[in-house]
Amino acid sequence: MVYALIGILVGAIIGFLLPYTYNTAYTLYISVGILACLDSVFGGIRANLENKFNTRIFISGFFGNAILAAFLAYIGDRLGFPLYYAAIFTFGSRLFDNFAKIRRLWLFKEKPAETEK
Amino acid sequence: MNKNNPKFLITIFSVLVGILIASQMKLNVDLLTPVTVKSIIDTRKEIDAVRNETAELEKIIAIREAELATLESINTGEANIIDILEDDVKNNRNKSGYTALQGPGVEIIMYDNIGDGIGLNFNDYIIHDLDILNIINDLRVAGAEAISINDQRIISSSEIKCGGPIIRVNGKSIGTPFVINAIGDPQVLMAAVNAPGTYGNNLTKIYGIGIQPYVKDRVEVAAYKGQFQFNYAKPMEEGE
Repeated sequence: MVYALIGILVGAIIGFLLPYTYNTAYTLYISVGILACLDSVFGGIRANLENKFNTRIFISGFFGNAILAAFLAYIGDRLGFPLYYAAIFTFGSRLFDNFAKIRRLWLFKEKPAETEK
Repeated sequence: MNKNNPKFLITIFSVLVGILIASQMKLNVDLLTPVTVKSIIDTRKEIDAVRNETAELEKIIAIREAELATLESINTGEANIIDILEDDVKNNRNKSGYTALQGPGVEIIMYDNIGDGIGLNFNDYIIHDLDILNIINDLRVAGAEAISINDQRIISSSEIKCGGPIIRVNGKSIGTPFVINAIGDPQVLMAAVNAPGTYGNNLTKIYGIGIQPYVKDRVEVAAYKGQFQFNYAKPMEEGE
């Protein structure tokens, strides 16, 4: 959890310092993609705490979910129907699910984790 | 650090998410709802409409300023008011059809069906006033600036009337073959009478009436020769 937060902070600093920007027209797709990526990161943290982490599943989920979410948003735009809601609801609820699991794992396993150090 | 270390991997990907979030924030999209491509297009259309309006208004300002400049030059005695008024008269005669004009356009020759019959009704073989009216309307839709039929200029009050075997235009009788001269964009005018589905094309294909349009670099349109005056219409007072 902490290293993910640190990572996001470092990434944000790098992102602000980088001179690259993209066309405003793509904001919808990128933001839905960000949601999917966040969900993947939370899922990864949870799997790690449960000792079920799998690199392949994590990486494929990270990129696959993001691309699928952005694609849904794009198709929805073409069809004139907000399909990206599907991505928002799915990844949003999963985000909270994962966070709830992480909280429980954290609160009840904090001490043994510290003793391991 | 091991490449497959979950914490390391998660950190790396968190950095990626952070970069994405930061670049999104940098764009400063102050919208509560996600922007759709459709809304962007709508906004762009609105902007274009406003810009067009501004351009139109600027043109009007330029015209008015030119008018003001002529008036001022009259006032200072640089320009002669008679010259300006004569120019005005010439301009108005041009616009109202009292001068012969020439320019690029089309010449359309129309004649009655002289081939084999398609029925027993003789009305199907000949050109009617309505056919001419439709052709002329098609030409006007295509942007014709001046039109004449057999040297009868079509002005705003010109009538086209059935007169048995002939038609009457501007009170004069004319018979086949009808020669319609129109000045305008030759390609567009040609398409207006010749393209499939137009009235002219239907006349040729269904009724066998001869319509021969020719694109010409120089078409001459005769001047209106009659008298034209208003008996009933009066100009409105400004601000009425």
